[in-house]
Amino acid sequence: MKIAGTQTLPLSRECAYRAMQNPDVLVQCMPGCESLEATGAQEYAMKMKMALAAISGQFQGKVKIADAAPPERFKLIVEGTGKIGFMKGEGALELTEAGEASTQVTYEGDVQVGGTIAAVGQRLIDTTAKMMIRKFFDKLVEVTAGMR
Amino acid sequence: MIPHSFDYAAATSFADALEQVAAGAKPLSGGMSLIPMMKLRLAAPERVVDLGRIQGLNYIHQDQAGIHVGALATHFEVETSALLRAGCPLLSETAGWIGDVQIRNRGTIGGSVAHADPSADYPAALVALDARIVVASKRGGERTVGANDFFVDALTTAAEPDELVKEIIVPVETMGTSYQKLLQPASGFAIVGVAARIGQDGHGRLGVTGLGARPILITDATDLAALNTTEANSDIHAASAYRREMAKVYARRAIAAARARA
Repeated sequence: MKIAGTQTLPLSRECAYRAMQNPDVLVQCMPGCESLEATGAQEYAMKMKMALAAISGQFQGKVKIADAAPPERFKLIVEGTGKIGFMKGEGALELTEAGEASTQVTYEGDVQVGGTIAAVGQRLIDTTAKMMIRKFFDKLVEVTAGMR
Repeated sequence: MIPHSFDYAAATSFADALEQVAAGAKPLSGGMSLIPMMKLRLAAPERVVDLGRIQGLNYIHQDQAGIHVGALATHFEVETSALLRAGCPLLSETAGWIGDVQIRNRGTIGGSVAHADPSADYPAALVALDARIVVASKRGGERTVGANDFFVDALTTAAEPDELVKEIIVPVETMGTSYQKLLQPASGFAIVGVAARIGQDGHGRLGVTGLGARPILITDATDLAALNTTEANSDIHAASAYRREMAKVYARRAIAAARARA
């Protein structure tokens, strides 16, 4: 499944870039993320608990930042496996200045979902993925509010 | 498929149900969404509180505020209620389009509304009707939320985890109404569904389900621009572009049918 979109953050580009590389920020912004532990340079082990209405499940996986070209672009790779299925996503994020203390983030990527959740939850995967991306950016704006 | 083991308790009253939900139990109404998800192990609640034996919460009655539909009214009861058919035919017509007759006999309006499936039928009608949803909790008593504020996102409502839907209040109809739906044949869920309330002058409101993560409210039925959303849902049954086109087709059909009844 392809995902793409843009989001404006009320931060300078340097600040926005730094925030999105910061595991302490990411752990707060990724919906359901419980912990991120560094396992290498820009590589983290992730524990995630998804709770969406009645659907709930724990995922373990990793988050990796690649092809970093600060403060313009980087790649975010997220993988998770749990009892209800697995997901694997790769997104390219590009940051452009949109005025003083305003940055436009353009993202484009591909998400694959498999296992039980994909077999029976097909109808809901797309809306759920979009909702999680929305939540991520909403929270990012909130968390970084004090960093300006 | 066999679900994970869980503790089960049947609530003896609505107050008892609120207490159990406040203590962390997952509410079970008709079970038309929760039970399949538990059997597929997508949902694994540790404790389930069954609302099905609470007496009297399936009422449908009218007063000055409108028509009150108790949360445990089944889709079949909503579909066939003489009061609703006369006073709010849009809700009855919409209920008649849900799933199949077995589902309509078990599933409840409160359960469907609380689940907030992005392809469910009721949300389209409820936002078009500007219905009010009464939720209750042990902690905060009752509060009323407008339908358009209630449906927040896919499977997400304005109800807190310890709140239960108690009733839905719909207005007594003054306009012509129609619900038109393109359904996915296997599940009966809406690919798109459009609820219209139109006056003789052709003006009115629409509620659209299936197109976005939450129902889309159009307050001026002569302007369908909102149906060109870039956020349209997509799945193996229907891609975004197809949904957008079908939403326009079914909107026009619903408007024409509703206006003919105005």
